Order: sequence, then structure tokens, then C-alpha cells
Amino acid sequence: MSSILEFKNISKYFPGVKALDDICFKAYGGEVLAFLGENGAGKSTLLKVLNGDYQPTKGEYLLDGVQKHFSSPHEAIQEGISVIYQERQILLELSVAENIYLGRMPANRFGVIDTGKANRMAQEIIKDFGLPISPTTKVKDLSIAYQQMVEIMKAYSRENLKVICFDEPTASLSDAEIDCLFEVIAKLKAQGKIIIYVSHRMKEIQQIADKVAIFKDGRYVDTVVTKEVPEQQLIKMMVGRDLGDIFQNLDRNEKIGEVLLEVKGVSSDYVKENSFVLHKGEVLGFSGLVGAGRTELMRAIIGADKMKSGEIYLEGKKIVNHSPKEAMENGIVLVPEDRKLQGILSNLSISGNINIALMDQNSNRLGIIDSSKEAEAADRGIRDFKVKTPSPDKKIVELSGGNQQKCIVARGIATNPKVLILDEPTKGIDVGAKSEFYSMICEFAKQGLGVILVSSEMPEVIGLSDRIIVMRALRIVGEVSREEASEDRLLSLGMMGEEANE
Amino acid sequence: MSNMEKKKEKNKLLQVIGGDKLILLAAIVVVFVLFTCLNRNFLSWTNMVNLLVAASLVGMVAVGHTYLIIAGQNDLSPGSLAAFCGTLAALLLSKGLPFLAAVLITLLAGVAVGLFNAWMVNKIKLEAFIATLVTQSVIRGFAYIICDGKPISISNKTFLALGKARFLTIPVSVWLMILSFAVFGFILAKTKFGRSVYAIGGSSEAARLAGLNPQKIITTCFILIGVLTSMGGIIFAARMNSGQPAANVNLEFDAITAVILGGVSFAGGVGSMFGTVLGVILIQAFNTGLIMVNVPTFWQYVARGALLLFALTSDYIRKERREKELLEASMRNIK
Repeated sequence: MSSILEFKNISKYFPGVKALDDICFKAYGGEVLAFLGENGAGKSTLLKVLNGDYQPTKGEYLLDGVQKHFSSPHEAIQEGISVIYQERQILLELSVAENIYLGRMPANRFGVIDTGKANRMAQEIIKDFGLPISPTTKVKDLSIAYQQMVEIMKAYSRENLKVICFDEPTASLSDAEIDCLFEVIAKLKAQGKIIIYVSHRMKEIQQIADKVAIFKDGRYVDTVVTKEVPEQQLIKMMVGRDLGDIFQNLDRNEKIGEVLLEVKGVSSDYVKENSFVLHKGEVLGFSGLVGAGRTELMRAIIGADKMKSGEIYLEGKKIVNHSPKEAMENGIVLVPEDRKLQGILSNLSISGNINIALMDQNSNRLGIIDSSKEAEAADRGIRDFKVKTPSPDKKIVELSGGNQQKCIVARGIATNPKVLILDEPTKGIDVGAKSEFYSMICEFAKQGLGVILVSSEMPEVIGLSDRIIVMRALRIVGEVSREEASEDRLLSLGMMGEEANE
Repeated sequence: MSNMEKKKEKNKLLQVIGGDKLILLAAIVVVFVLFTCLNRNFLSWTNMVNLLVAASLVGMVAVGHTYLIIAGQNDLSPGSLAAFCGTLAALLLSKGLPFLAAVLITLLAGVAVGLFNAWMVNKIKLEAFIATLVTQSVIRGFAYIICDGKPISISNKTFLALGKARFLTIPVSVWLMILSFAVFGFILAKTKFGRSVYAIGGSSEAARLAGLNPQKIITTCFILIGVLTSMGGIIFAARMNSGQPAANVNLEFDAITAVILGGVSFAGGVGSMFGTVLGVILIQAFNTGLIMVNVPTFWQYVARGALLLFALTSDYIRKERREKELLEASMRNIK
């Protein structure tokens, strides 16, 4: 008897963002259903709604016809719904058996834990899985792959397990380990469990998934049988948008100047050996999957992370940025990806946010801030970037995401930079504000700035960039000119790397 | 329409004083009325001056805590440091050092302790709460060590005058507190440094990416509270005519309570010096009042704990309300 999981009109709002929009579909027991979609398409959000991490704003979901509602992942697990995440959620100092039976160790009537019984029960499960590990081994002594197995066994040990979801489970596994994981998934499938598998790796999806559910911009597109649809078409379904009139009508900069920024072999703790050049008046796109190292490369360039090796030349002169402050003084500013935590100063006003990098210019020798200079700079920022606000003294957090972002860009531009790095500038921003940003970016290029645009939104990178650099696994793996850029091309480069070029 | 204008007028008033401050002012009035009813002498001029004198040390430390807590840090070492500095000054004077030299060296000790605290927080990445607990114990130890556990009496005339002298009928120590409030209140509200303190308290990483140097700002804040505490400790010793290694045990407790009562958020990034002034008045009136109406010492501890609980609860309620208001405002602006 197999189960059915049904999503009915699920929507989830965050301040300024509609993360899930009226999701309706069913998943069946005894099948592996893959979730496919770009970053931000809503896959992970949906899993979090499913396991009680998030509460849906609207809609409901039913397991075997019964409406479920969980206020925490813990409750979901007790009802037989488990999500296995990329990051291991496991206690390293405990044994395999203790982890599997965490919080429900077998005990006698005095409450004394019966370790022997737990070990025997765990041994049974390990045998089911066919793994060469002992129930008494401490989890920290296991490989990453086996640690993940322990997590799966923990879910499996619940007799009522009905739904098991894997969120990018293979990100840090070797090929042999992936095979082992797939065998386990096949077993779970044979037992009639509902299996949801989220991955970016097309090859794996082809191999393991019976069906593919496709998501786009927070909406559910369709479910298809994996074997019946070729890979290229799947990709088209998940990105398939026209670049639209917005990009056609942009007033792009045609005069690209000489080399402005030259990055040579830059490494940090998070990226390896990256080199590229940026010209005056050029918009240089950076494409790649989340975790490819784009953000980290930019952080290394501006000195937010320590640069371990490599050199940076600005207008032919070697520069060294030990801190974002030095980068700013040298003429490089970053608009960070995480607007909420790294962009805005949430306790300050709009004016305070725009002026934070201008305090030296706005104050006298004693450090006393001239409030009229601040007001002037704030007004200029609000006017130039069309920030919609009744007053510069409003708290920045009261604004919509797009207007907050405009303030952060205004802050950077006010320092008169030569290079402007925008990291996911339109993430979580409504369409109207997006097109304003696109015009703005073109305008910056016209003024002779070098603009680096890191974006996971394919149409955006393609529509705006003069050249696009693709990163994968902490390295630059390719460069695509404006003429040859397409979503498929960027996606396959970003997913599969160089070999896909041939 | 006059109704609306009135409402606007009222809102303006609320903005100037701050809505939260009205509650605090009300609490101060309640405490004053209550203790005056219980003991007529509470509201006498002499007692008011005594209250301010007693408040001066807490007040100066609270100025430092205002900066630190807004910056998202904290300091549990001022009680020990004040006792150490008082004892050190007394020791140096007893060895025949001139007034100015003794005071300068003692202030430098305050700077050194501030630097050490900042080093633990910035470089070893310890939580300020835990890091300064280390200093609290170590410095208290040194206070006993340098005087062999015995208070050192002071005979230097200039030094003793610090504790006794009056200017316009008000003791110097009170003037120093008022001066600290005014100067550091101005710096906090009007200067680059003050703005930076708010910025790193709101989000240290965002501030760093915007070109600030959070570690430098944190270091400056720790030095500031070190120097203010050291100054307060010197004045305290001058008032007592001796350096006492066992003194000032609850100093940071009172200062932190005052600062939180005054509307500085434990989460950082929010608050003002004016709030701290009110908080200091409230806590000192409370402490003095408890003594004057003969509440047993042991119960005074319980009462102080209750006051801190009240402060923390109101901080929590303020924070919840702020977040709710902001979410609502942002929702309005999106749709």
C-alpha cells in the first residue's frame, strides 16, 4: 500500500517576496520524484513548509488524505516526514546507535537506557542497508557519506516513515558513495516510501528519478516522466522564459574602454586561482550555481575575506585591499548578496545608510557630522536612484526590498567608485524595481564604470552583460561572449564545467 | 481637524522624549513618591545631593556601558576595575608619588584593562560576557594583591579634595558625571564615532562591508569604559579617604541595569545617552530608597534582581514591538 502526498494551493510570503505561489501537485509512494528548478525557484522553501520549518501563508498539504500541520521539523519527523539536508544534522560525539535512536533510546521501566538493545536494533538497520559499520562507532569517526547514511537510517528507523526528502544529498559525496546512496534510495522506493530528491545534477536526476517536478519563480510548472523528456527540454522548462522586452529596450553602453581591473590568480580560503579582466564601461556577468564561489571571489577582491595569493591591478597599478574600507578608498565597492544581513544597517535611517561610507567627507576635523551635508547626500541618493520614501529619516527596514537595495547602491556610488560589484542585486525584488536596476546598470557603464554583475538569474546576466564568466567548484571554468550566451549554454557550463564545451 | 493636529502635536512630543522614556519618567516619579511617603527625608536637598554623589560612579560606568552595549558588546569587569584603580591610586600616593602622576598611572591602568578586554573579544573571538568575566576575577585578585588585602588610607590633600570639593554647592564628583553624560552623549549622537558605534551594533558585517572597522570601534569602546571606570574608582577612593580592594562589587550590575532601563537594547544598535541618564537616576533612587526605608540588606539584593528582571522584560517587549511595527510597515510598502 503506497502513500500519497498532496500539496494544495500552497503559498508562502516573506516581507517583500512571494517565495511560493499557489503550489498544487501530488507525489506518490514507491516513486522517486525529483525537484528541478533554478536557485530561488522555491524547491527548498517547499521542503521547509513540508517539514514544519516554515508555516505556509496559504494552502495546505495532505498525507494519505489527512491534512497535516507541523509547527516544527521535530513534529514532522514523528509523523513520518523526514528531510535529509546537505549539512549533517547529527551529533558527532555520539555513537551510530545513539544517533539513530536519539531522544527515544530503549529504556527499562526505571528510565535507565538499554544500550545493548539499542545497539542490536541499530545493527538490524545497518544490515538492512548493507553497510560495513558498527553501531558503537562514534559518528565523528565515519566518513561524510556514512554520516549521511546514519541520518538516513535515523529516518528509516521510524516505523511510520512515509516521506523522505533529500536536499542536494550528493554535494560532497564521491561517485562510489553516490552509488551506495542510490542503492539505499532504491530500497526505500521498493518499500513504497515517497521519495523527494532535490538536486542540480542532471545526470543524477536521470539516473535515480522516476518523475521530475519542475519549479520556476516560486511556481510549480509540471511533472514529467524522466525517461520521456530529454535533458535539454527539461532545462528549457525550468528556465524557459523570453528575455523579454525589458532587455531589448535597454540603452546599453556601446563604447567599451581599456582594461580597468585585472585580477590575477586570486585565491582565498574559499576560492582557487581565479583570473579575469574588466574593462571601462563594461558589464561583466558572473554566472554559476550557488556555492560555485562567485560571492567568495568578490569578497576576496575587496578584502572582506583574506586573499591568500594573487594580485589585483586597477588601471595598471597594483593595489592591495586588506579590508573593504581599503577597497573603497581604491575605488572598488561591493553591493553584497545578503541584503538583510550584509547590506542594510537595519537600525539606521535611510539617510544613515546612504551616508555611512561618507562620514569622513560629512564631518569636520573633530569628527562632528554636519547634518546638512548628510541631508544633501541623502536627498541626492533618494532622487538619483528614485527611492520611494516619504522621508530620508524613515528606517531603512520599512522600505521594500527594491528600495532598500537602491539605498545600498546609492551608498556605494556616493563614494565615486571605478569598479562596482553587484552581487545578486535583484534577488527578492519585484519586476518593476528590477527593470529600474537594469537601466541603472547600463547608465553606470555609460559613465565609464566597470560593473561586475554576479547573478543567478540567467535572463539578467545574458540581457545585461557584455561578457559572461562562468564559475564552478570555486574556479572560473569558462567565458561566454554576449553573442553566444544562452541559458542552456551557461547552465551546462555551470553544472558540468569545461567538458560540456566540447 | 484640530483633533488630528493635536494628535500630530502629541506624536511630536513623543518623538522628542521617546515613547519609552515616558514610561521611565513615570517609573522615576513613582519611586520618588513612594520613598518620600515612606521617609520624609528622601526628598530633602541633602539626600538628593547624596543620591547624586552615590550615582556618580555608576553613572560614569553606565556611560561606558551605553557605548559598549549599543555596539553589541558588554563588560562585567568595572566593579573590580574601580576597586583596583582606587587601591592603586592610594598605593601610589602612599609611596610618595605626586597627585598628577598617581592619577595618570591609574588612568593608564584603565586603558590597559580596556585593551585587554578588546583583545580577547577581537582576537580570541570570545563573547564579551565571558571574556570580561575573566577580567572581573583577575583584576579583583590584583586589587587584593597590590595592597596585601588591606585598605590603604590616603592623606594627599589634593586627592582628597576630589572627593570633598564643591563647585556651585554641588560636589565635583557629580559635576564629573554630568560632564561625562554631556560630552559622551554629544559624541554618541553627533559624531562619526558615535554613528559607527550604532552601525556595528546593528550589523557588524554590513558595517564592515560599508567601510567601517568594527574591531577598532570595539577597542575604543572598551578603552572608554576602562578610563571612565578608572576615573570613577579614583573619585570613589577620594570620597572614602582610602583605597579599598573589596569595594564596588555590584557596580557593573547597577550600571547595566540602568542602561537597559534607559532603553538601550541588549541586542545592540539601539538606545541613547538621555535614556541612560534616566536609568541611572531611577536605579540610584531605588537603591538609596531601599536603604532609607530600612529594607534589610539581603532583601535589597532580591529587589535589585527584580529591577534587572523588569529592565530585561521591558527590553524584550520593546524589541518585539519594534519588530512587529517594522514588519507591518514593510508589508505596507510592498503591497
